[in-house]
Amino acid sequence: MAQDHREQRNGAERLPLRVNGDDVEVEAAPMSVLADVLRDELGLTGTKLGCRAGDCGSCTVLVDGVAITSCLMPVAQAAGRDVTTIEGLETDGELHPVQQAFSDHNASQCGYCIPGFIVAAAETVANGEVLDREQVVQSLSGNLCRCTGYESIVDAIVDACGHGTDREVAS
Amino acid sequence: MTGIAPRWIGQGIAQTDMRDKLTGAADYVGDLTVPRMLHAAIVRSEVAHGIIRSIDTSRAERVPGVRAVLTGADTPSIPFGPYVPDWRILAEDKVRYIGDEIAAIAATSPEAAREAAALIEVDIEPLPAVFDPFEALAPDTPPIWDERPDNVANAFAIDRGDLEAGWAAADLVVEGEFTTNRIYHGYLEPIGVLAEAHPNGRYTLTVPTHIPYKARITYASALGIPLDHIRMVVPPIGGSFGAKYEMLEPLIVACLSRAAGAPVRLVYDREEDAAIARPRPPFHFQHRIGVTAEGRFVARETEVTGIAGARVFWSPAILATAVHRVDSLYHFGSMQGSGRLAYTNEPPTTAMRGFGNAEALFGIEQLIDEIAERLDHDPIELRRRNAAKAGERTMHGWLISSSELPACLDRARELSGYPQRRALVEGTRGRTGIRRGMGMAIAHHVSGYKPILKDFDGSSAIVRLGGDGRVSLFVGEPDLGQGQVTILSQIVAEGLGCAPNDVQVQGVDSAMSPDAVGTLASRATTMAGMAAVEATRAARERLTAFIASGWQVDASELEWDGPKVTHAVSGRSSTLADAAHDYQVVHCGLPLLGEGVHRPDTEDLDAEKYGNPSVAYPFAAHVAEVEVDCDTGQARVIGYWAVHDSGTILNPSTARSQVLGAIAQGVGWSLMEDVDIVDGAVRNPSFLDYRIPGAGDMPARTVVEFVEGYEPNGPHGAKSLAEAAINPTIAAVANAIHDATGVRPRHVPIAPERLWEALQEDAS
Repeated sequence: MAQDHREQRNGAERLPLRVNGDDVEVEAAPMSVLADVLRDELGLTGTKLGCRAGDCGSCTVLVDGVAITSCLMPVAQAAGRDVTTIEGLETDGELHPVQQAFSDHNASQCGYCIPGFIVAAAETVANGEVLDREQVVQSLSGNLCRCTGYESIVDAIVDACGHGTDREVAS
Repeated sequence: MTGIAPRWIGQGIAQTDMRDKLTGAADYVGDLTVPRMLHAAIVRSEVAHGIIRSIDTSRAERVPGVRAVLTGADTPSIPFGPYVPDWRILAEDKVRYIGDEIAAIAATSPEAAREAAALIEVDIEPLPAVFDPFEALAPDTPPIWDERPDNVANAFAIDRGDLEAGWAAADLVVEGEFTTNRIYHGYLEPIGVLAEAHPNGRYTLTVPTHIPYKARITYASALGIPLDHIRMVVPPIGGSFGAKYEMLEPLIVACLSRAAGAPVRLVYDREEDAAIARPRPPFHFQHRIGVTAEGRFVARETEVTGIAGARVFWSPAILATAVHRVDSLYHFGSMQGSGRLAYTNEPPTTAMRGFGNAEALFGIEQLIDEIAERLDHDPIELRRRNAAKAGERTMHGWLISSSELPACLDRARELSGYPQRRALVEGTRGRTGIRRGMGMAIAHHVSGYKPILKDFDGSSAIVRLGGDGRVSLFVGEPDLGQGQVTILSQIVAEGLGCAPNDVQVQGVDSAMSPDAVGTLASRATTMAGMAAVEATRAARERLTAFIASGWQVDASELEWDGPKVTHAVSGRSSTLADAAHDYQVVHCGLPLLGEGVHRPDTEDLDAEKYGNPSVAYPFAAHVAEVEVDCDTGQARVIGYWAVHDSGTILNPSTARSQVLGAIAQGVGWSLMEDVDIVDGAVRNPSFLDYRIPGAGDMPARTVVEFVEGYEPNGPHGAKSLAEAAINPTIAAVANAIHDATGVRPRHVPIAPERLWEALQEDAS
């Protein structure tokens, strides 16, 4: 089927993963990248692929609470660790505070890059960091967006960190 | 609805389809899987120009999992294309650029498809290749297409008024050469398509295109099948900015699906996407403007040379825009313009936001600053004086139905402190150390463009009020992420009295949606918005008449308040949902439908290209502040002020987001981005090497403001925004750099090495 070719060449193994709080076992070649396994084997397509080279941040997920680009991480490296994807941020149908802030600030247009931004910001919020605009801008050096010009995204993350927007904006 | 304060128009609500985007639930084409789905790979030419001697597919066919291998010999051989029939599904006898499509594979996994693609052996006899437009157009250069021995892919010429008298009246003539470059759209979602060839000869193509109706015409002609044999389904689009108009890929994948007897999906990786990037066409401009001592423009000449690449996508319309659209921003008194597009052995170029208008303004707006300087006029007043005004018909017949440009200029001046700040730094202009400067540019654009589709202009919409109370809207203009769905939801909610979140704007599907010109030329809010207003009104009227008939009262005695309707005399009342349910029951299951047709009074252009092609024209005044490190040539945009006239702002939040996104693209274009093509090969096909702005590249201070007028031809007084917002950006940055350093940027991007060299030259 879809992965027989990969197995044939690379020898698939059964690997234990903990994804969004669920223990799962996936069959994948150890050098498959985590993003492909999440998307193709587990159907978690909220993790987007924008470059497969770690340049754009669309595929950002948390591994043991640390934001990483899942297009670069071999799945074997994630085995036995706690993986959180965009699908794992909601609790009981309630948006995560970062998701809610993105909604409040209308911080998305086409939406393709947005899961990566939200997951990256979720790490910041989980760490209890309170960042000002400049620090948020620095924290986003690994994520690209072509639609919004970033301002609403920065506003949303500052807000989610517990800061009000401290920037004068005309609207 | 006049006289009643709007409930939803003008509300800055978040995008109504945002939740799916925030939770990862939005399925873009690369997220879709269907049973038995195969994966595609394309074999491309590594030679810029050559004759295909042979293609050996035997080794590829033996790769486990391969289900179909196609070459040009296996695909319909019908010349086609949106402007010029120089497209083929796969190359037949020749390749014409590095990246030209030679063969295609469908296999059970992407890896198998790629492995097989690498095993296809293509023997190509190289031919001389040409990469420079002037060389391509020179006599005796061998043709890329035998049908065009002169390598002219397209030419455009226009003249108006008494040019001789214009030059005679001019007290000052300014002129200059300016060049603009290839820009990669840089959407985050790479190009993808899912194609299903059905056994009955039909196809379902799931394609993130913004012009599905026109694309379907092109695809049907290429496959030699009737239009109704193709169903176009548009999934959520992960950014396009013009790249995803009419793509070639759906045809290749459709043929693969037919050959393999299974659905096939193709999704590019970033390198392939950027390497065959069909970027913004590069242009060379020779501009000349004549002006009287009092500051009145009296004559303009322009000569434009651009690159179509190896095939013609949408570059001809972009060339025409670059030659003459500016004549409806300013009155130049008289003009003559001409342009040519060269075939070269390079990737084809196509539409990108701004569409030739931003490119032309890059030079024009700099020359206007030069005029102001040489005549010692205020650059803002010089622009105001010569700008086209509301109620005027410009020299090419364009009707400016509304313009708040004068007020935009005033607000841009006030907000940015432009004159005071420039006075402060007067005399500090220099070529050493750190220098700051401010620059202004103005722009306009269209809200639709009649010649796009010869069948019809305008738009249509269907409101469907289900028996379950759910409201749906069907239009043929896809959402590109800019907030189309949200704006249309607000319009329907305003007319029906429900909330925007109660309105489901359906994705475009040719099996259900009206046919439409599409989402391009900044037309969707204006055109689909007007159709939605009409469809909503029709639905409301039909429902009101139904209720009145059931209650045996006069419809004029029914009063709606939000979703509630009351008969004032009897006090009897109902709701939208209950009435819709009753309607469906009485009509044996038929939901209540409201149809809306918006037939604008745009004009066909006559033989002299005279006529009004657009219902409305948006305007913008931008001011950029830059800081230049003269020791390195590095410029940064440190402040930005954008004031816009887009008529009524239907949603301030999405509108503001449009402008901020356009400024980011303008910052990238003016200072950072360039598709680097050497001998026909793209050398920077990645986000590492082709840098688009990140959050840290944006100015620390960006101010966006709207001057709200009322556009009589748009929904609730609105007109377009998306492209007007990028059009002034590169000129504003260039004018700011000149203000800081005295160097006049002639080329974008104004890259550090180029600016540094110019600083040294001017210093000597």
